[in-house]
Amino acid sequence: MKKIIFILSLLLTSQLLLSQEIEVESYVDKTKIGISDRVKYTIEITGEKVGHISTPKFPKIKNFRNLGSSSSSSSNYSIVQGKMTSKITKSFTYTLRPLKIGNFLIPPITIKIKNKSFTTEPIHIKVSEGTTQATPPTSSSFAKQPNSTSNLSDNLFLIAKVNKNNVYEEEPITVEYKLYSRYDISNLAFAGDTNFEGFWKEDIYKPESISFDRETYNGIMYNVMLMQSVALFPTKSGKLKIPSLSLNVDIRTQSHSFFDFGTTKRYNIKNKPTTVKVKPIPQNNKPTSYSNAVGKFKISSNISQTQLNVGDSFTYTITISGTGNLKQFDIPKLKEVNNLRFLDPEITTDINKNKISGKKTIKYLIIAQEKGNFTLSAVPFIFFDTSSGKYKTIQTKPYQLKIGEGDLTFVANSAAQSIVSMEGSDIGFIITAGELKTKNIYYDKFFYWFIWIIILLFIPLSILYSKEKTKLEGNVDYIRQKQANKILKKYMKEASTLAAHDDPDFYAAAQLGLSSYLADKLKEPRGSSTDNIISSISLKNIPKELIDKIKKLFETCDQARFMPGGFSKERIEADFQLVKGTINEITKCKF
Amino acid sequence: MKKSILLLLFLLILSSVYAVTQTETIFSEAITSYQEKDYQTALKKFSLIENEGIINADLYYNIGNCYFRINEMGKAILYFKKAIKVRSDHQAARRNLKYAFTFTKDKQNSENESVIRSFWLKTFDSLSINFLAIITLAIFLIIVMLISIMIIHYKNRERTVPLFLTTIFIFLFLAFFIISILKWQEFHNDDEAVLLSTSAIGYSGPGEDFTRVFTIHEGMIFTVERDEDNWSLIKLENGLGGWIKKDTYVKIEL
Repeated sequence: MKKIIFILSLLLTSQLLLSQEIEVESYVDKTKIGISDRVKYTIEITGEKVGHISTPKFPKIKNFRNLGSSSSSSSNYSIVQGKMTSKITKSFTYTLRPLKIGNFLIPPITIKIKNKSFTTEPIHIKVSEGTTQATPPTSSSFAKQPNSTSNLSDNLFLIAKVNKNNVYEEEPITVEYKLYSRYDISNLAFAGDTNFEGFWKEDIYKPESISFDRETYNGIMYNVMLMQSVALFPTKSGKLKIPSLSLNVDIRTQSHSFFDFGTTKRYNIKNKPTTVKVKPIPQNNKPTSYSNAVGKFKISSNISQTQLNVGDSFTYTITISGTGNLKQFDIPKLKEVNNLRFLDPEITTDINKNKISGKKTIKYLIIAQEKGNFTLSAVPFIFFDTSSGKYKTIQTKPYQLKIGEGDLTFVANSAAQSIVSMEGSDIGFIITAGELKTKNIYYDKFFYWFIWIIILLFIPLSILYSKEKTKLEGNVDYIRQKQANKILKKYMKEASTLAAHDDPDFYAAAQLGLSSYLADKLKEPRGSSTDNIISSISLKNIPKELIDKIKKLFETCDQARFMPGGFSKERIEADFQLVKGTINEITKCKF
Repeated sequence: MKKSILLLLFLLILSSVYAVTQTETIFSEAITSYQEKDYQTALKKFSLIENEGIINADLYYNIGNCYFRINEMGKAILYFKKAIKVRSDHQAARRNLKYAFTFTKDKQNSENESVIRSFWLKTFDSLSINFLAIITLAIFLIIVMLISIMIIHYKNRERTVPLFLTTIFIFLFLAFFIISILKWQEFHNDDEAVLLSTSAIGYSGPGEDFTRVFTIHEGMIFTVERDEDNWSLIKLENGLGGWIKKDTYVKIEL
């Protein structure tokens, strides 16, 4: 950045030189002289084509006599971006001898160069008795060596230049600390920090290397260097002292002989302290919405569009520019409009290089949420005007907004969307609908453990059950008894299908089924004769009629087996019903 | 005789119903007070319900909120802790407790736990004790059923599948049972206490003439190890131990 500025300034100067700018300056070597001393008065003409200028005619000056003149010229070439520019400095030095003691003035001298007149500045010279200098000045007026303290303060000093001496609180002032020297300075350093008490400080400039400019001060040419430049914002009222800058300056003394290379001597110099009167900002009739801004400001606003649809967003920019405490004041408050959503503004503060002027830009992004005509009212901004010493209100202009119906589905512009950020934290809200029952802990309840015990009882029960089962399974008769029903069912099924087809084989099936069933039940061996079965069945507690029925059935079956085809359809049907009825009766009996 | 018994029963039910409705009206009154930001009144009414002998996490949570609002952090922490004790899966109470901790002078409940430990704690805390009780019971029932079926129906060689299932369930059962025991212990552990006075000094022995060991501030949670007269030996979370006065703290018990 600095480099760019440097190149720019170079370009600018070269541009100036190209336009044949001519500068004329005049200075003397000293302003306090003795009656027997001489004054060297120099007129310096700087420009591009000044080489041919002849020595200007020196006018007659009261109380001084012109002892003669000499001229010298120096050229300075510089090449910037391939272009060469030359700067020639022609200086004419007149030696003047004072004629009287007193305060005199070397009047302005007018010089005509190329049909242009240039006037030099007047110079005051004090002529006293005797001589102020023990030894006459050596060849050049510069690179002197300090030989006495009085001389030192004349030739090496620091000045603080304050742009204003009477300000209001918060009104910025700029201070420039300049070093004036007529010595050969080998090194410079700040001696300690400067504490700007009672001010808010902004640095404007601080040198990075030692470089001198030539400047006349009170008619004498000095080497000048800007040591520091600051902008100060007073934070309290009253007489505030602007602190002095302290510098350590190393001055090279002149060599006296060939083998003497000269030595450097260090001097500590400070500028004279100055004060600034700071007035308080009047508290009476202070507006309530005062923004704490002090200075001189202008306000302007800009809106990106005034006709838009629901869901669209637009930017509304307020710019406050001017001189003053731009960094410190509060931004003007917007009057919120219902149906418009204002997102948090983006605030940028651009401060100029001088640190006291610049602009503040407040950019709002606003989303239209409902259709209709709305007014974005004027935004007032109240500041304390330092030039008039009064509060001043400036405002933006109001805007009329026309919002049309947009897409019904409100889709926020993605540029307007932001991630939800935490704005604060707090405890959660109380629970409003709670069941106000004491909560039982099941582990502490008897009932819960009672269920456990009941569940646990399943295991011994199932063990008992399975034991019983295995015991029975070992017993053959038990199994036969259990299987009897199964066998009966099997035969009866067969018999019923046979009966349905009027097949006389039905009798065989019925007899076999019935006899095996009874044998199993009676624990008789399988295949026992019907007589055996009948005889053992009569031992059981079974009604006599049923036994007769069974006996009869067996007889019918026997008959049928030996007389195939001897039975009519009706007979088979009737017998099947009989078998079914008998079996029903038998199964109901207990054996 | 029968009529009088019926009448008595009816009266009993009526009175209990009446009591319930009464506490409910007090509760809703307290909530309106809270919403109107009259926290003192809300607190008074909530406490009235608490004094009825009702143990309820939501109630404790609300009382904690009231104390938080009137800036009594110690008591707020105590009640949030109580709510969590009743129902460890009370997320709102947990959040508020964490938030209330940020208002205490002493930093506690260091969150820099290992991943496994925090995962374990999270699972542990999200299961309520009654939920665990039911789960354990259900798993137990399944195991018993499986065993019974094996005993009754299966012969030795066919048992592999149910045997495998049973083992899995037994492991599950053990896991839940252990968690339940830990939970139950935690529930019945009343060694934890909260400091209610603004600050307390821990001494190396029961008395002020002993060496000062530490200073703790309102809202600090610690465990009480034993008592001696008016002094209690406490242990802080970071392992520091010391004797503090008995009247400076309140135990977290229901």
